[in-house]
Amino acid sequence: MNGMIVKALVMAGVLIVATFVVVKQMNIDLSDPVNMITFLGAIAIAVLAFGVSAKYMQQMKTDTATGELAEDNWDGIGEYKNELPAGWSWSYVGTLIWAIWYFLWGYPLNEYSQIGEYNEEVKAYNAKFEKKHKNADQKTLKAMGESIFLVQCAPCHGDTGDGLSGKAHDLTKRMSKAQVLGVIKNGSHYFKYPMGAMPPNLVQGKDAEEVAAYVAGGMKGDAPKAWTTCAGCHGQDGTGNGGQAPNLKAFDDTLIHNVLTMGKKGSIGQMPSFVNRFTPVQEKALAEFIKTLSSGK
Amino acid sequence: MFHWLEKNPFFFAVGVFVVIAYAGIIEILPNFAERARPVKGLKPYTVLELAGKEVYKKDNCIACHSQLIRPFKSETDRYGQYSLSGEYAYDRPFLWGSKRTGPDLHRVGNYRTPDWHANHMWDPKSVVPESIMPAYKHQFTNLADLETAYAEAVTVKKVFNTPYGKEIAPGKAAFEKYKKDILLPEALKIAKAMKRDDLVKMVEQGKVPEIVALVAYLERLK
Repeated sequence: MNGMIVKALVMAGVLIVATFVVVKQMNIDLSDPVNMITFLGAIAIAVLAFGVSAKYMQQMKTDTATGELAEDNWDGIGEYKNELPAGWSWSYVGTLIWAIWYFLWGYPLNEYSQIGEYNEEVKAYNAKFEKKHKNADQKTLKAMGESIFLVQCAPCHGDTGDGLSGKAHDLTKRMSKAQVLGVIKNGSHYFKYPMGAMPPNLVQGKDAEEVAAYVAGGMKGDAPKAWTTCAGCHGQDGTGNGGQAPNLKAFDDTLIHNVLTMGKKGSIGQMPSFVNRFTPVQEKALAEFIKTLSSGK
Repeated sequence: MFHWLEKNPFFFAVGVFVVIAYAGIIEILPNFAERARPVKGLKPYTVLELAGKEVYKKDNCIACHSQLIRPFKSETDRYGQYSLSGEYAYDRPFLWGSKRTGPDLHRVGNYRTPDWHANHMWDPKSVVPESIMPAYKHQFTNLADLETAYAEAVTVKKVFNTPYGKEIAPGKAAFEKYKKDILLPEALKIAKAMKRDDLVKMVEQGKVPEIVALVAYLERLK
């Protein structure tokens, strides 16, 4: 055993003793595995640090260089011709090939798109949302519909859906008398129902007034005589012959879907289309809520 | 392998140039694409809005508020459509910010009204009980620096070709005319919407308080 190794062992020993002193002084509980591992780690670091240094210092003192010198030398300092390690050479060649691919193809043609990732995030969320609420009960749908209504519809239709005194359609009833008269006077083919376009002025004068009052009043009591003209398309009960023409008695899913996707231009003003703004479940929820506004539930 | 290249400084320099130039091209070219141009229909800030922007900078709103909605669902749910680079075309400098002690303001004009701002800047807790934002009452009495804002508009029109109309022209007379015909009516509209008589009175006397300019600017953010 030579002097260098002895010195290294002494230094490591001093560090280990110092570690013990610290452990004693600070009253560290070595039964705790984390403390024990840290303690062993400190000892290992002390031994390794001095042991490895001693090994290489020893080598520097005793080793002599051998081998063939390379041609190049820099102010008299030369280098030996050493074989390049095989792993190094192969990773160098591999990096070159990858670099050419990345230069000409990988980066310029496959640029990462943050918006693409966002779109996928939204799509995944919507899919999950649709799946979760596929069979939602009435109560959930109504609550969901209400929250959508308050954000998306209430700015024009009001928190209670009353249309803010004529600013927008009063959703607490199907139609007002003025609205019915407007449709009778102008006709309508806004939503392209299978029954086709409704021509203007099918009923006129006093008949129109009577029909308007009857429809606006919720179709209670006896129908006026002129109602037969309307009933031809809208059905005797006014519910639209099962989706052939608009339902005049109450808001139904078809009507709400049509207004949401196409918007509405009527006697009050224009409502924009909300197409692609809601998922199918959200639309169903919204319809559910809007129906409760007028049915008094 | 490249031993010869190390011995030829000229060819080495050519190699370096080629590599850096290629990287430069594929980094820079996309910035000339359509999506990096001003978005369609974007109008430059009016002078009143520019004055408000100065107030925003002066009172350091950027320390707590950002103006950049990132494309994450959590952000678009709360603040609206994510921000596009073309929306900042007339922002010199842009006020993206990097700290959100308060909410993002890039689309605040979509969901707040001048009336709300008036209450909020006077006493934030009156409209947002849990708010830690300080009150900015001095903005209700300090006057906005309209001359500087007008000079800024004239400058960006000349230097950057910002599409202002003929009404923005150099000179004191042009400024006075702009102030009387365009700026004061615009400020009066904002002041009336803020529903505070003291502000309306000030604007009617030809004085524009900082808060009116700031609210005009905030209303513009949408």
